[in-house]
Amino acid sequence: MIVKTLLAALVAGLIAGVFSTVAQNARVVPLILHAEEYEGQEPAATPPPGTSTEQDHQHSSQLSPSPLTRMLSALSPITPAFAHEGEHGEEGGIMFGMSRFSGSLLANLVTGAGFGLLLAGVSLVVGHPITLRNGALWGACGWLVVHMLPAIGLPPELPGFPAADLGDRQTWWIATVLLSALGVYLVVLCEEIVAKLIGLVVIAAPHLYGAPQPTDISSSVPAVLGAEFAVAALATALASWLLLGVVSGYLNDRFLKSA
Amino acid sequence: MASSIVSSIPLSISDRLTAGILALLIGGFLVFGAGLANSAVLHDTAHDVRHSYGFPCH
Repeated sequence: MIVKTLLAALVAGLIAGVFSTVAQNARVVPLILHAEEYEGQEPAATPPPGTSTEQDHQHSSQLSPSPLTRMLSALSPITPAFAHEGEHGEEGGIMFGMSRFSGSLLANLVTGAGFGLLLAGVSLVVGHPITLRNGALWGACGWLVVHMLPAIGLPPELPGFPAADLGDRQTWWIATVLLSALGVYLVVLCEEIVAKLIGLVVIAAPHLYGAPQPTDISSSVPAVLGAEFAVAALATALASWLLLGVVSGYLNDRFLKSA
Repeated sequence: MASSIVSSIPLSISDRLTAGILALLIGGFLVFGAGLANSAVLHDTAHDVRHSYGFPCH
């Protein structure tokens, strides 16, 4: 029975992972590729060399590669090095020499399975089953905890955006996700009004402490791209989590009848 | 009636906690590996996904 429960969570996660890959390629990945063209350039008030202001407004072909080029680069078995790869001391590159797209698919499958198992794990530990009826709510709460609440301090960022030390940000992010999970649990699943109030305080605590911020916020990546990206990334993640919650609930109802 | 109760509660509390904690550990490990692990190969493979999900990156 334990295996069956975990398997249902895993399958829901894999389905959500496939969906994420498709959804991300609609809007989020093109914005990442666009931003990488600016990455590593000197932050400047003037447009990048070789482009006039007029071209900048028109999203000239010089700035953004044609859909065909993008498609070819996604399908190519050997991907161009990422602009920031040189930062790493060790040799980088995508696992098994996969294309960038298949690398993302693999990562989405792993992440989706992880999210599915985490959601099921929380549901089992707190003793509230995920069903088809409440699946969307479970998914929305997962998104709130893992994406929306941490994004208040650390919004989804494009490559080339200024950011504080990676270790500091990861520590703050993990702490915020854990505190948000506890807070959302207290607010959503506890009956007592005092518990709900404590939940709100727990949710607010990491933001009162403050997320690590970069000292220099100048960037060569246009701010418009960053704004579009932050919204697109959060919306895509929300869609994936809603699907994850609903599919988890469906599989539980259909195969486990644990409600 | 008795049999329907048995079949509608397939997991005892200890089984439920075992499964739950196991799921949390495996799920946390997978998300950490794809989203946060500081390995260049993992980073480059999951690069676009890390950015898309808003994991702290670079």
